[in-house]
Amino acid sequence: MGLQVKDVVLELGDGDAQITALDHVSFGVGAGELLAVLGPSGAGKSSLLAVCGGLRHPTSGTVVIGGKPLMAMNDSQLTRLRLQSIGFVFQQSNLISSLTSLDQLLLMVHLAGRRPRKADRDHAMALLNSVDMGHRANRLPDQLSGGERQRIGIARALMTKPSLLLVDEPTSMLDQVRGHQIVALLNEQCHQHQVAAVMVTHDVSMLDAADRSLHIVDGRIQEVAVSATN
Amino acid sequence: MFLAWRDLLFAKGRFLLMSMIIALVAFLMTLLSGLASGLIKNNISGLMALDVTNLAFEYNDRPNYRNSMVEREMWEGWRNAEGVVAAEPLGHTMFTARTPEDLPLDDVVLWGVEPGGFLEPDVLLGESLKGPDDGVIISALLANKHGVKLGDVIVLDRVLTKLTVIGITSEQNIGHVPVIYTPIRKWQEATYGPPGGPPPGEVLPDILFDYASVIALQLAPDTDIETVDIAWGTVTMDKQSAYEASSGYKEEVQTVKMIQGFMVVISALVIGAFFTIWTIQRTQEIGLVKALGGSNAYLLRDTMGQALILMILAVGVGTFLAVWLGLSFEQSGKPFMLVKDNIAGSSGLLIVAGLIGSMVSVRLITRIDPIIALGRTR
Repeated sequence: MGLQVKDVVLELGDGDAQITALDHVSFGVGAGELLAVLGPSGAGKSSLLAVCGGLRHPTSGTVVIGGKPLMAMNDSQLTRLRLQSIGFVFQQSNLISSLTSLDQLLLMVHLAGRRPRKADRDHAMALLNSVDMGHRANRLPDQLSGGERQRIGIARALMTKPSLLLVDEPTSMLDQVRGHQIVALLNEQCHQHQVAAVMVTHDVSMLDAADRSLHIVDGRIQEVAVSATN
Repeated sequence: MFLAWRDLLFAKGRFLLMSMIIALVAFLMTLLSGLASGLIKNNISGLMALDVTNLAFEYNDRPNYRNSMVEREMWEGWRNAEGVVAAEPLGHTMFTARTPEDLPLDDVVLWGVEPGGFLEPDVLLGESLKGPDDGVIISALLANKHGVKLGDVIVLDRVLTKLTVIGITSEQNIGHVPVIYTPIRKWQEATYGPPGGPPPGEVLPDILFDYASVIALQLAPDTDIETVDIAWGTVTMDKQSAYEASSGYKEEVQTVKMIQGFMVVISALVIGAFFTIWTIQRTQEIGLVKALGGSNAYLLRDTMGQALILMILAVGVGTFLAVWLGLSFEQSGKPFMLVKDNIAGSSGLLIVAGLIGSMVSVRLITRIDPIIALGRTR
């Protein structure tokens, strides 16, 4: 199992302002499976992503990634885990503005404390080619379209060969056609690389590309469904 | 340094602007350093040239060359004290020098020294003070500035003492006034005797020749200075401290050091402000790097490395331009002197100040929450 979330509660704020962002949430995602998490704005989708990615400590419950429980980890251990085991795909603007497409991927090697070798460059180019962005390897983010930036983000997330992919609203800034292309690409990549993936989205039309989906409302899971196409 | 280099290349305009400001500060710092060294040289080059370890003044809370007066028994007492290698009287009086045609030349400091003694300067041109009694060795500055040549006669204003130029030594000043050397007896005659010398047929009383301004000393390292000072009513300073007894020296050095200090503080603040704004502008990207697994240590190394690159390049350019300009100042005779150690010191200080300034952003970086990469603030 790539990701296991069990009975997770996340409370934010203090006193009267305290809210329960996640209320006893439990689910699992296996290797090579794409789980879509749907819900209205403020339902707790992003909080779920933050907890799964080690960006927030849950108030209670357990999160296990690749057999490693997150609860016992301190901030620096969580940082290392994010680098080694988790790939993030953010909304389209989240590329480093000073880095070319190829450098966005090689940054992950630098963050691991190494200088990129030929094998790293070859791996990065192979990933860029797999998302049809090999010809844009030397372009800066502001020279790319929204869809192209999202493809670079997906390739970057796979650079460290993670066991878990966390995808945040990948289609929010794209039109329907490009949005479907990106989600299809995500599905293809997570099957190809056997990565467990959680995709947060508010767009119901993207469900077809997911293996499973769950609806979250007010921090609680309301419904779990298996996609008709899978 | 991966991100640092890419940022430097990407945000060329911003970093170029910042580099220009730092280069300008480095330029001014180097010019100030040259000016400070030049002023020091211009003020005390005469003292620096003296082959002494210490100078003994008449006892005073604030000893200086003009007010000090020592007697023969004092320098002879010093000469015979244990640990004293050599002791000689040095006379110091300021005059205005004129030509025999009564045209003003310049203010000069007349130093009276024992001919053949250790205070006598090396001459670049001419001969030593062992020659005629009224011989004078002048600073090269006087020769260059006013065209005074060997054999010319200089008249000291007020006392009307005539001195014949027999030698020219290197550029030596004290209190920004050129030094001229004459035998101690001539100095005593000019300083304590009647204007124009003794009346015809008369000789000056011997007591006139028992006084000087200070005692120049060559001391062994373990000399008991305090005991000798008490015995002979003197206050002795090492050569470095004796510079401060030159009028205006301490104030000039303090003023220049204060300006340099302000510039270092201003640089640290400007660079600190720049990196703070730069970090705030990059908050989203720093949060993103942290969310991707970048550690604080990585980001701090990167930021400090960026600051170091910026400082070294900008300070290098600013210093180079200042040295280039400074060389022309030196050649034009302005009080300016480029000293390698001082330039390296002021440049190094500026780089350290810049790094300290950039450390302001360190706290900001460590406090950025990676969750902002998700576009959330809570």
